[in-house]
This record gives sequence, C-alpha cells and structure tokens, in this order.
Amino acid sequence: MRSVIVLIICLVLLAVFGPMLAPYDPTAIDIPNRLQPPGGQWLLGTDALGRDILSRLLYGARWSLGLAFLVSVIGLVGGTLVGLTAALGGKTTDWLMMRTTDTFLAFPELVAAVVIAGVLGAGTGSLIFALTVTGWMRYARVARGIGLSLETRGYVVQAKLAGVSLPSIARWHYLPSLVPSLMVVWTGMFARAILGISALGFLGFGVQPPLPEWGTMLLDARIHMRSSPLQMIWPGLTVVACVLAINLAGDALRDALARESEA
Amino acid sequence: MTQALFGLLLRAAVVLAGTALATFALLWNAPGDPALAITIARYHSVVSPEIIDKIRVEAGLNAGFWTAFQSWIGPILQGDFGNSSVSGRPVLPELAAAAFYTVPLALAGLAIGLVLSIPLAIFAAKRPGSWIDRGAVAIASLGAAIPAYWLGLLLILLFAVNLAWLPAMGARTPAHAILPALTLGLGVAASLTRIIRSGILEARGQPFLPAFRRRGVSDKAIGRDHIAPHAAIPVVTVFGLELAFLLEGAVMVEVIFARPGLGSFLVSAIEARDFPKVQAVVLLAALLFVIVNLLIDLFYRMIDPRIGERDA
Repeated sequence: MRSVIVLIICLVLLAVFGPMLAPYDPTAIDIPNRLQPPGGQWLLGTDALGRDILSRLLYGARWSLGLAFLVSVIGLVGGTLVGLTAALGGKTTDWLMMRTTDTFLAFPELVAAVVIAGVLGAGTGSLIFALTVTGWMRYARVARGIGLSLETRGYVVQAKLAGVSLPSIARWHYLPSLVPSLMVVWTGMFARAILGISALGFLGFGVQPPLPEWGTMLLDARIHMRSSPLQMIWPGLTVVACVLAINLAGDALRDALARESEA
Repeated sequence: MTQALFGLLLRAAVVLAGTALATFALLWNAPGDPALAITIARYHSVVSPEIIDKIRVEAGLNAGFWTAFQSWIGPILQGDFGNSSVSGRPVLPELAAAAFYTVPLALAGLAIGLVLSIPLAIFAAKRPGSWIDRGAVAIASLGAAIPAYWLGLLLILLFAVNLAWLPAMGARTPAHAILPALTLGLGVAASLTRIIRSGILEARGQPFLPAFRRRGVSDKAIGRDHIAPHAAIPVVTVFGLELAFLLEGAVMVEVIFARPGLGSFLVSAIEARDFPKVQAVVLLAALLFVIVNLLIDLFYRMIDPRIGERDA
C-alpha cells in the first residue's frame, strides 16, 4: 500500500509541478531551430517545429497522466457501484448487471476505445468517454465477487435483519473489504489508461495537436525517424517508465495482500 | 451438461445483442446526419434535400431509435453488411481480403510468443527466486509496459533504418511480415511468460504432489500428468486474452508498418467515416470473441468439473 501511495504522490507531483520546471513554452514554434539534437540549449532537442521536447514531455504529463488518472478513477467509482448493485440487488439485477459487464468485456478494450473515440470525433471529450466506457468492467467483477462472498458473514446478516438499508450496508460493510483488491485493479487500469491515451493519441484519435501528449508526440516524431531518431525515444521511454513503475507498485501491493490473507 | 450449454448459449446471445445495440447507439450518436451518409453511399453524389428526406423516412431514421435499430439490424441478421459508404462496393469481400493479411500475422505473432515464453517460463520456474527467474520476470514486466506502437517503431529504427536488414513498410514480400510479427510476438511473449510461470509455480504447490513423490512416481510423470493439467487452465484463459491482445496489436502494428489488414481497415474506415465498414468489423469481431469465450468456458468444464458448480 505504501509503495502505491508514494508512487501516486510522485506522479501527481510530476503532473502538477512538472510544467513549472519546463524551460520553454511547449507550443512555441521556432522553425530556425527545428530538429536540434539533444544537449546544449535544448536538453532533449527540439521537434520538427522547433518546440522544446523536454518542455513538451513535462507539460504532457498533465495530459497523459492527468487524463489517465481521471479515466481510471471514474471507472473505479462506476464499476464499483455496478458490482455492489449486482451483489446486493437480487438475482435479476445481478444477472442484468453481469450480462452488461460481459457485453463490454466481450470486445478488446483498446479496439472498442478506438472505435468509440474515432466515431464520436477526435477530441479530449470523446477520448475520456471512450476510455471510461471501456474501463469499468474489471472493478465491477471484483466488487461483485467479493460482495457475494460477504453475503453470509455474521455482521452483514445482522445488519440486514436490523433493517439497515442496502446502500448503507454497501457503504459501511462491503466497501471497506473491497478497498485493497480494488486498489490492485486500479493500479492495473491506471497503467492501461496511460497506454490507451497514448495509443489513441498515436492513432490521431486522442488529444489533438498542438497539445503536448506523449502519444501525439510519438506520432510527430515518427515522420522524422531517419533524421532525428532520438526524438522518438523520449516520449516512448516516458510512457514505459510510468507504466512499469505503476505495474511494479501494483504487483507489490498484490503480493502484500496475498501475504496478509495467508497470515 | 445440456443445461449448462443452454445457459452459456443464452449468455452468448445476450452479449451479442448487447454489442449490436451498443454499436447502433454509438453510430446513432455520431456527429453528422446519418440520412446524408446513406444517401451518399447509395448515389455517390450530392442529391436534393427531398431525396435525403425520403431516405430518412425509408430507413426509419425519423421514427425514433428503436424503429431505426430494427431496420438496421434486419439485413445484418441475414448476413448482409451493406456497401461501403465511400467506395460503394460490398463490405464483406473487402473485409475478407483484409483478414487474409491479419490472420497469418496474428498466428505468426502467437507462434513467436509461444516459442519464446514457454521455455523461458519453464526455465524460470525451475528455480524460483534464482537470478534466471528474476531476470525472466523483469524482462516480462518490461515487455508488458512497452506499448506495441513504440516497440514497432524501435524495431523499425534498429532493423530497417540503422542496420537496413529488413523492409519496414508495406506487405509486398514475406520479409515485410518479419518486423510486424516480431512486434506482436514479443508482446505476447511478455504476458505469456508471467502467466505460464505462475501457473507452473501454483500447480507445483498443490498438496498432492509430495504424496505422489513419496509413492515413488517419477518427476517426469508428475510433471506431465499432474502439473501440466493444472497449469493448462490459466493458459487457456490467457489464450482468450491473447486473442484480444492480437487484435489490439494488429490495429497498432498494421498502422505503424503501413500493412493492409483488419486493423488498418478499421482505422481507415473510421477516418473516412465509412460506418458500414466499421460496424462490420465490430460485429464480426464480437461474434468471434463470443464464440471463443464460449469454447473456453466449455473447455474449463471439461478439464475441471468444479467450475460449472460454483458459478451458476
């Protein structure tokens, strides 16, 4: 749990304060100094329009990490609500909720997000919608699964007999048991959201230029692969570093939970 | 078993109906006038507003969502996916031609993934915690964090630009398929290595194994008859996931390497707002995934009878 919290704080700090460290305006075009190699005045070089790559990466954290955080949190809240409703709502509700979840799970999430974002028209709004709609199902499954396993616990049965309303049972008796597992799912989905945002950006269906987003930066860099190959390395490396860090934190959290449940 | 099969089929039908509904709802809410799109698809020219209005009535577009949905789903249920709204040609033959490129690529990617991951996972699981094991896990974690589009670009940079060994763009010769297949295969290998390794470790922790060993059953026989079937369940699950991964990967890889195929078919159809093509890809892919998941569910019930009992 601690590693995840530290990591989240680091990423939030990067997204919030990163732009302040940026030496240049990320959208300032400077044609005479286009495609400069790294070093000297431009630490990581400049892109095809002479924009400073380091500044674009730092500002890009707001888009790539910030949007991924937003998308994964909306999915977390929505999916947990669906899962708890299914677990507590009786047989018909459960069946309906879970078949809806199955429907959304039946299709590869990234492809569905590409179709949704593309059909609705490129832009940040469609991007958020597309990734949220395709990113809530795992939470729902986990929340329902754990919810069902709590059904016969003494405190839940007693609360039901005492006439406590279902939303209160969900809030006070189910949610605390769900938090650790949901956190594990959340780390995975946060990483997936970062990958999804940059993938959609790379395909041209995500955050639109000139906004600095890591996937969109890769799309720009691809054209100049021969003349300035390093331009392509930085945004990719940033994505990989973030995703790897989040995944490792998630693994550590899962192992810690497994040890706790064994002990 | 019949009852279980019926339940699974019902579930599959519900999922397919849900996908069709969601697809139509998406197209219904797409920006732009659908009647205009149909008109252009049919006449290939700008026509008078009266004809557009006539089509609107004909297609049931002004009669509300449900009527329009019914007139949309009717031909599709009969296997008629209509004509491309750009070229005017039927969608299905073009889709089949695209699949002709994607299926071999996906199979090659899967083969590369299996060839790399199975030995690596077995080797790693032999001595858990050793440096080989840790190295394998580290490589697999790194592989899971590298997006396919970046890996593809790196491979192009190394093998096509710097070393000039392999062609990067297009699909003219078999050599053009090497880098795309490798991009897909490395991604598959990363996820499979982790899953097969933990599958083996879990199977090896089963309490009946020491009992067999004490009875003098050879390590080889234990591995074959008891560890392998236990490790098979997660592997089959993963196979379903890998199929999804391969389609996702095909979208990215085909765009990066400028290859024809289902992925570039889908992306170019979206860009051209050619909705008949988009819906054909989405609905047929959903059908494929539903069938695969159905088969996986049946397979589970065959190798582990407990599964049918606990999940009603």
